[in-house]
Amino acid sequence: MPTDPPVGPPEDPDRDARDDERRARRQEANDAWSAFGLMISGVVVWGGAGYLVSRWTHLEVFTLLGLLLGTGTALYGVWIRYGRS
Amino acid sequence: MSTLLAASSEGEGFVSPGPKDFDLPPFFDSVAWFTKPVLIVMLATLLVAAFYYFSARRASVVPSRLQFAGESLYGFIRNDVAIDAIGHEGLRFAPYLATLFSFIAVNNIAGIVPILQFPSTSHIAFPLVLAVFSWLIFLYLGIKRAGFFRYFKDMMFPPGIPIPVYFLLAPIELFSTVIVRPVTLMLRLTFNMFAGHLVLLLFVLGGEYLLKEYGGFVGIAAGSVSILGSIVLTFFEGFVQLLQAYVFTLLTALYIGGALADEH
Repeated sequence: MPTDPPVGPPEDPDRDARDDERRARRQEANDAWSAFGLMISGVVVWGGAGYLVSRWTHLEVFTLLGLLLGTGTALYGVWIRYGRS
Repeated sequence: MSTLLAASSEGEGFVSPGPKDFDLPPFFDSVAWFTKPVLIVMLATLLVAAFYYFSARRASVVPSRLQFAGESLYGFIRNDVAIDAIGHEGLRFAPYLATLFSFIAVNNIAGIVPILQFPSTSHIAFPLVLAVFSWLIFLYLGIKRAGFFRYFKDMMFPPGIPIPVYFLLAPIELFSTVIVRPVTLMLRLTFNMFAGHLVLLLFVLGGEYLLKEYGGFVGIAAGSVSILGSIVLTFFEGFVQLLQAYVFTLLTALYIGGALADEH
């Protein structure tokens, strides 16, 4: 295995800082996937909860409410996490 | 296509490949677990271990071809995946990530290797185990860094939101990190390999059927196109197989990076 340091010579004091900068950029590239995951979660969690309430009360409207609530909240969450900066 | 369907509805004719083609019988009737995917995973394990062992053994300043290959691959994962996604702490995860990438890549590539010709990762059990590893690693690191309650608090309660909304948002955040992450990791790999293998099967078996059974000008012409298409698709599959191994590794690294980072 190679033994020399990965980025820049070892005496380079800025190496860690630059590595962290690269990391931040990569993490940003992951934001699209995270946002997608959050949207799915919103629909599944609150849509699922609404569905269970529908089963219990025999009123289908709760499924719809749950789906809308989940989608709305997830959109808000995406905006909070990735939209305002 | 319609004539094909008509032919198959007449009883004999083309039987299109489907999920049943992934249900491979054991090699010996007495050893039920020993099937082709299991053999491929064993071979892949041996191959990856042997590759890194022999490329690192007798490492010299002027590298042999094998040493060069091993170092290039390892260096790529270490610099472009581990350090890029995790930061300077990524160095200590580089061996795991390099092994993960190589192992998935070899298992995927088995799908286009003659004789083997089956991507073992299209059986969901193998991606499942790998996704569970990634899941355990990033949860463990996150909990170790922040402590159990603060880790989940940071995950579920991003700052700057009206308090009533937390009630709605917190379960979603929890679900998306703890459930959606490993599940998508597993499904993305499995179904890419599953669908790729199915498409290849369809082109090859369909082409064979057209050439041999259907015959005539239409059969020969369409069959030839199908067989040629299968060759092109084999190269495309090879690309997808490497890409999916890379994506799995990169996402694992990003999750580790997210768990180690002191933000939110």
